[in-house]
Amino acid sequence: MANNTKNIIEMQNVGIRYDKGPEILSDINLSLPKGSFHFLTGQSGAGKTSLLSLMYLKQKPSRGQLSVFGHNINFTDRDQMAVLRRQIGVVFQDFHLIEHLSAFDNVALPLRVAGMNEYEIKKRVTELLTWVELDSHMNKKTSTLSGGEKQRIAIARAVINRPDLLLADEPTGNVDNIIAGKLMKLFVELNKLGTTVVIATHSDKIIHDFAYPRLHLQNKGLHIYYPSDTSMLRGING
Amino acid sequence: MADLQTISRKNELPLKGENTSLFLQIIISIAIFIFAITLSGVLSMNSMISNWNKSILGSITVQIIPIPDSNKEKVQTQLLAYEEKAVEFLKSVNGIIKVTPLNDEQLDNLLRPWLGDDVSISDLPAPRIIDVKLAKDANIDFDQLREDLSQASPQASLDNHKIWLNKLIALTDGLNLIATTILTLVIAITSGAIFYTTQMSMGLHKDIIEILHIIGAKDTYIAQQYAKRMGFLGLIGGIFGLIFAIPAIFFIGNLANSIKGGIISEATLGINDWLYILILPLFSMSISMMTAYYTVKNTLKKML
Repeated sequence: MANNTKNIIEMQNVGIRYDKGPEILSDINLSLPKGSFHFLTGQSGAGKTSLLSLMYLKQKPSRGQLSVFGHNINFTDRDQMAVLRRQIGVVFQDFHLIEHLSAFDNVALPLRVAGMNEYEIKKRVTELLTWVELDSHMNKKTSTLSGGEKQRIAIARAVINRPDLLLADEPTGNVDNIIAGKLMKLFVELNKLGTTVVIATHSDKIIHDFAYPRLHLQNKGLHIYYPSDTSMLRGING
Repeated sequence: MADLQTISRKNELPLKGENTSLFLQIIISIAIFIFAITLSGVLSMNSMISNWNKSILGSITVQIIPIPDSNKEKVQTQLLAYEEKAVEFLKSVNGIIKVTPLNDEQLDNLLRPWLGDDVSISDLPAPRIIDVKLAKDANIDFDQLREDLSQASPQASLDNHKIWLNKLIALTDGLNLIATTILTLVIAITSGAIFYTTQMSMGLHKDIIEILHIIGAKDTYIAQQYAKRMGFLGLIGGIFGLIFAIPAIFFIGNLANSIKGGIISEATLGINDWLYILILPLFSMSISMMTAYYTVKNTLKKML
């Protein structure tokens, strides 16, 4: 269903507030074309995680329209939402791993939830864990792994089902430069294969090394910088 | 309900090690113990009514009431004469197929449980009794028969047991209502315990549930894991409850049987009744599974 959609994500006048507090993001208008690659930037507390949580359907906007893979989520039932989430890979800053499960089982989770057979799961998970150089840790509980290893497990889990949309919240924050470069290469490769990618990051190095547009959150609004014209603010919100 | 049939292969939720498991099993054991005892009571009462109904259906009893007199021999002679007249009359009535006057030994046996071994029927001004069997299709006007019988044999009294049986049925209906209330309460308490335990557990594992949610698990996927675990606890709790209940049922049954000649000794459990009692652990498993399943589904709806 996502493959025929021109824009993976569309937001129109979206606002987010928690409980009865003030809006932390207001009048967000955004279209993420299929196959695009964006960085998401902004100061701490600017609302990056909240915006990402809208994209991976953790929450609905307080106001405005949000469409993901062409589905207006105000009119999407719970089961359909779950199926939409399966097309989204998410890498969290704090990993969000299930600590009592092994590295293998954590990575296998999206495939099991989708109902894939165990033979195919074993094949795919082993392949990916070998790629992130954690095949020797396959049966270890994630609670026994280091921060960098956990991050690689989290990334493996996010990409195991070849998602149409990959969202990452500071994915390189807990790994060294070599691993960070390798992970960014993975994201770029996935993007070349058609996955739409949004990466929230504070790393200037990554932003400068990879020439992709930047979604910048400032003063509750969203602005876009293009790498070819970084001096010019082409803010959607003006 | 079809969702309940597909239990997931892996349990991402660590439900096995929860402290509340033992508490829940104890609650379910107690619930099933009470349930089994109450159910056995209901079933045995129903079998008692059924047994009495069967034995009474198609029969009536005629008593020949003695006329008080200090001369015992005279009383006995009169009684036998009235009995003979009554028998003669009853045999002539259309629809009556068998008339059997009870002899002294039979009367002795009937009264022994109430009077003890030391008293003989011949020492007492006891009535004579005639057992009367009716044809299956007999259409008898009992009021008319009662009147005709009293004319043929003035000391005869007819009893078709209906009044007595109706009182007994009213009593058992009342007891059944109380039992049904107890069973409903037991189910409500068990479901309530599972509901709160499940909600508590969901709060405890909120982070894992959120992860499952984000990677695309449907509510059903999470609910199945809870249903599977709670169903297991329900089954084990139910088995333990039954292990304690069965000896108790036998004990109560033996006490009832020791009341010889009384109506309670007719209250027995048949094979089907025992089957109902023995499948109670499966019942507790089903209740536990369904309660957990729908608790999770409803709780998750409050999330996105």
